[in-house]
Amino acid sequence: MKPSFAKSNRSMIALWIILIITFIFTGIVDSYFFSIASIGITLQLAAPLGLLAAAQTIVMLTGGIDLSLAMIATGAAYIVSVKSNAGLTTALLFALVFCVLVGAINGISIGLFGVNPLIMTLSMGAILIGVFTVGVSTFLRGSSRMPEVLVTLSSGLIFDPITWPLLVWVIVGGFVHFSLTRTGFGRVIYAIGDNAQAARLAGVKVWQVQVAAYVSCAILGGFAGIMLGGQSGAVAISLANSYLLPSVAAVVIGGTSIMGGLGSYSGSVMGALILSVLSYLLAILNSSEAFKQLVYGGIVLALAWVYSSISERK
Amino acid sequence: MRIPLREQTWNISILGLVVGLTLWRGNQLPVFGSYEIKTILLGIIPIALLAMGQSLIIIGGGINLAIGAEAILINCITARFSEGTSFSTSLKWALIGILIAALIGAATGWVISKSGIADIVVTLATSFVLIGLALFVQPGPGGGVNLEFAQAFSGKGDSFVAPLLVLFLPILFIWLPLQRSRIGISLYAIGSSKDAAFLSGVNVARARILLYTFGGVFAGICGVSLTAITQAASPFAVISNTATLNSVAAAVLGGVSLAGGVGGLFGPALASLVLYYIPTIMLGYGIDPAYSQIIQGALTILVVLVGGLLRSRGK
Amino acid sequence: MDNLLEIRELAKNYGSVIALKSANFSVSPGEIHALMGANGAGKSTLVKILTGVIPSNSGSIKVNGSLVQFTSPDNARKNGVAPVFQDPALIPDLSLRRNLKLTNTDISKFQEKIVEFGLKISLDEQVSRIELPLLRMIDLARALAHDPKLLILDEITAALPANLADIVIRVMNKEKLKGNSVIFISHRLSEIGEICDRVTVLRDGIDVDTFKTEDGDENRIVSAMLGSKISQSLTESRESNLANESLIQLKSIQDNKKLHNVTFRINKGEVLGVVALEGQGQDSLFEILAGERRVSSGEIIFKGSKVQFFHPNDAIRLGITYVPGDRKSALMPQRSIRENLALTKFPRILRWGWINQKNEDLMVDKAVEILEIDTRASSQVKRLSGGNQQKVTIGRWITTGFDLLLCFDPTRGIDVGTKNQIYQLLSSLSAEGKSILLFTSELREIELVCDRVIVLYGGKIVAEYDATNCTEELLLNAAHGRVE
Repeated sequence: MKPSFAKSNRSMIALWIILIITFIFTGIVDSYFFSIASIGITLQLAAPLGLLAAAQTIVMLTGGIDLSLAMIATGAAYIVSVKSNAGLTTALLFALVFCVLVGAINGISIGLFGVNPLIMTLSMGAILIGVFTVGVSTFLRGSSRMPEVLVTLSSGLIFDPITWPLLVWVIVGGFVHFSLTRTGFGRVIYAIGDNAQAARLAGVKVWQVQVAAYVSCAILGGFAGIMLGGQSGAVAISLANSYLLPSVAAVVIGGTSIMGGLGSYSGSVMGALILSVLSYLLAILNSSEAFKQLVYGGIVLALAWVYSSISERK
Repeated sequence: MRIPLREQTWNISILGLVVGLTLWRGNQLPVFGSYEIKTILLGIIPIALLAMGQSLIIIGGGINLAIGAEAILINCITARFSEGTSFSTSLKWALIGILIAALIGAATGWVISKSGIADIVVTLATSFVLIGLALFVQPGPGGGVNLEFAQAFSGKGDSFVAPLLVLFLPILFIWLPLQRSRIGISLYAIGSSKDAAFLSGVNVARARILLYTFGGVFAGICGVSLTAITQAASPFAVISNTATLNSVAAAVLGGVSLAGGVGGLFGPALASLVLYYIPTIMLGYGIDPAYSQIIQGALTILVVLVGGLLRSRGK
Repeated sequence: MDNLLEIRELAKNYGSVIALKSANFSVSPGEIHALMGANGAGKSTLVKILTGVIPSNSGSIKVNGSLVQFTSPDNARKNGVAPVFQDPALIPDLSLRRNLKLTNTDISKFQEKIVEFGLKISLDEQVSRIELPLLRMIDLARALAHDPKLLILDEITAALPANLADIVIRVMNKEKLKGNSVIFISHRLSEIGEICDRVTVLRDGIDVDTFKTEDGDENRIVSAMLGSKISQSLTESRESNLANESLIQLKSIQDNKKLHNVTFRINKGEVLGVVALEGQGQDSLFEILAGERRVSSGEIIFKGSKVQFFHPNDAIRLGITYVPGDRKSALMPQRSIRENLALTKFPRILRWGWINQKNEDLMVDKAVEILEIDTRASSQVKRLSGGNQQKVTIGRWITTGFDLLLCFDPTRGIDVGTKNQIYQLLSSLSAEGKSILLFTSELREIELVCDRVIVLYGGKIVAEYDATNCTEELLLNAAHGRVE
């Protein structure tokens, strides 16, 4: 009867080993990678993925998934840039309201009406694409550039290798980790993911937890989207598209079970770091798009398989 | 073999919706004859085939997020090697394509069974790999196919018989026999309850592999039809992702339960017609196609909601 | 004459956990052989290995003198060994007909059996719509349709109403007459003597006693299972707690077809027992009190005021807590004992804040001590034995506090040692002034633990007794509707 923390320790060790190997390999290919500045840039670019992974971790721990996350992120960035002429606070407020609203709709449909999370968030994503495509030419007309402050927070340097986005990630990520491990909120998240019926009989209002999970997820997605907008300067509909599947991949590699009830954000952070270093490696190798896709998919599969056999979780 | 009542009801409702939408569309168009029917059929063939493949997999308790990528890969392979060839060569490559798709499906099923990783995760990773392979085979748009072969698929002139056959022959020769056979029942079984299936003598791992193989066959036929209809290869990740997502929506709209063990292939095939009509009809009124995306998304949610409520009432 | 079944030194372990050490078990042709043992003794493991659900680590199985190793229940069936498991092995979303096709069962033979049982079933009915007792009979009919030489019945009578249980006994005797054999597994000691020819008792993975039923009695079985004499303290009846004020009253409760005009009360500090055969309405009664289910009509009066429950939380807030019969619906398998015990602390959003780790540790350690759970608090619950898991289910409420504890068959499928511990626990809780509503399928528990007892039959209360002046016979009769 082994205590459960030993198992998760084993997984973390495995992840560290994988990260270090990938890190060293990339450094061998490109010696510049080992420089402080370069590491700083990698971490900076990993930050949005890290935030998106945080969002996915929360909902995946409840046994769900959020496939509308990319559009929530893009949407938040869009709203901020468009409303920026009304002042920074107002713009951020609008974006917050948007995230909370979408997260609440997702959470209520899934938690109260029992709609399958895959279908719900899939459809919500489609709806959001439609809404924003129409919006661009109608009610959301305006600047597509992010306010200066946010651009700095998304890509500014403090001192090598610490950048503002890294700091934001550490603070927000730290808060997420703390919530999951040291608060009642974290406990009920794991609880409904492991056995929603048991949680209900113990008095937990499962639908409330679902709503809270999807709203938190959406807010974190909003953070990530704003950061992405700041990093790329301008916002387009496809801003966060290429991050959706990697956000799920990072969480999976990090050891969170897609069935719910088991996992951690610290694992997802490792997953995000591994994938970011990998992207750097592929970019440096000047590989064709074909090769990049092949390697990406192959690595995700291999890591998930290795991890699954270490954890003997079937 | 009687079709369960719930499935029958769902199919009939969708059929009613399809008839209604067809009449609407017919009304919209100045002419509604053989050519117009042919256009509609050609428009839905790829998505209907993917929907059927995905539905089968979902019925068996799985899901394939790489099904669109699979179809694109076969599209690229067949279009690359059929360019400027004879009818028989194009046909040969079409068959090879379907075979490759079946093998990919089998490999996917094997990985899922052996590794114990959830199918969402495995097929997520596979979608990257397959798109990568597609780009490798055909780095950009291009390729072609023998003209007569293309016509055999899309029909000569105004005739819509060929596309109709392309749609119905898989149902007739794959689905109907499968559904009655013990293999087919075992697929429903593993989707409904893996434990009960094992206790009933089903080799669960083998059934899983067969499940994804059959799904792959449908994806292969879809890929071939893409080659025949568009006469080109389109190795775009965006297309494959959209196609995959649409296949899941069509399955759900067609009465297939994401929990597995429930539904058939007729419903999803009809549902893909519905998903086709919505943007087409709206476009006919000059409405921005973005609105049709919103309606499609909302419709899917509504259908699942109602379906879920009905199911819990029935208990 | 060769034995029909000969199992020698069968062993099975899961890592360091030994499920079977060295079990020997044989069945002669034409006999009904009872296989007994506490939870964890190895009964279910033996049956699973025999029927091909899991492989063994060592040992041999011979059927009619030849070595066999079945790879699946289907494989076993084809070779004349037919299991009927507690959970019928039928696919819920498929019709009966398609299920039969799946197992290559001869439909006409199956129909024959169903007619013999005197039952009427439509083959196109979806399995998920058929009730459990009927499903068990269908599973039995299916097993018989394969003309088995050896029939294995695993706790089949547990959920059956009397008339169906009789049919099962008839079937077993008929098979015996035909020269076939039956392995009969049951926790109901009284059935064994009536039905079976021989008994084998397993304990800690070894067969400890095998005897003919005419040579021994229930006591012999129990002492073989326990390994020692039953301690005298168990058979002492409790002091009754009758003269107290009412805690909760149910008046004229009606719940669709499940409960009719149910009226009773529970006093403070009282342990009220509920006795009933399967499906007589006790599930609904408990679910209503737990807040899981709504009544169609009637009142619940708790501490003097009328109450209504829309969610388990409503009941919990008033101090009514529920220990479900099915451990799977009460525990989170992948989480630790600590998290399971502490779960009840976070019912509302206001409670989702920071956790004071030190306080929680104190609470958890105290609970583990009271419950005598012999595993570290950080262990995953799925690794615990059934008995320990049950203790955790009860334990959560002890740490939170309650006025009324609803226990639904808490000792089902639990070994005798843990059963005692749970009885002690319930007794001490009631001594502290807590009330307990206890549904149990073991009649001797009524005398041991309860103050009063009510009997449900057909959704109605047909009898109410003081625990001190009722006998098992009286209770059993009442449970069958036979009240004076």
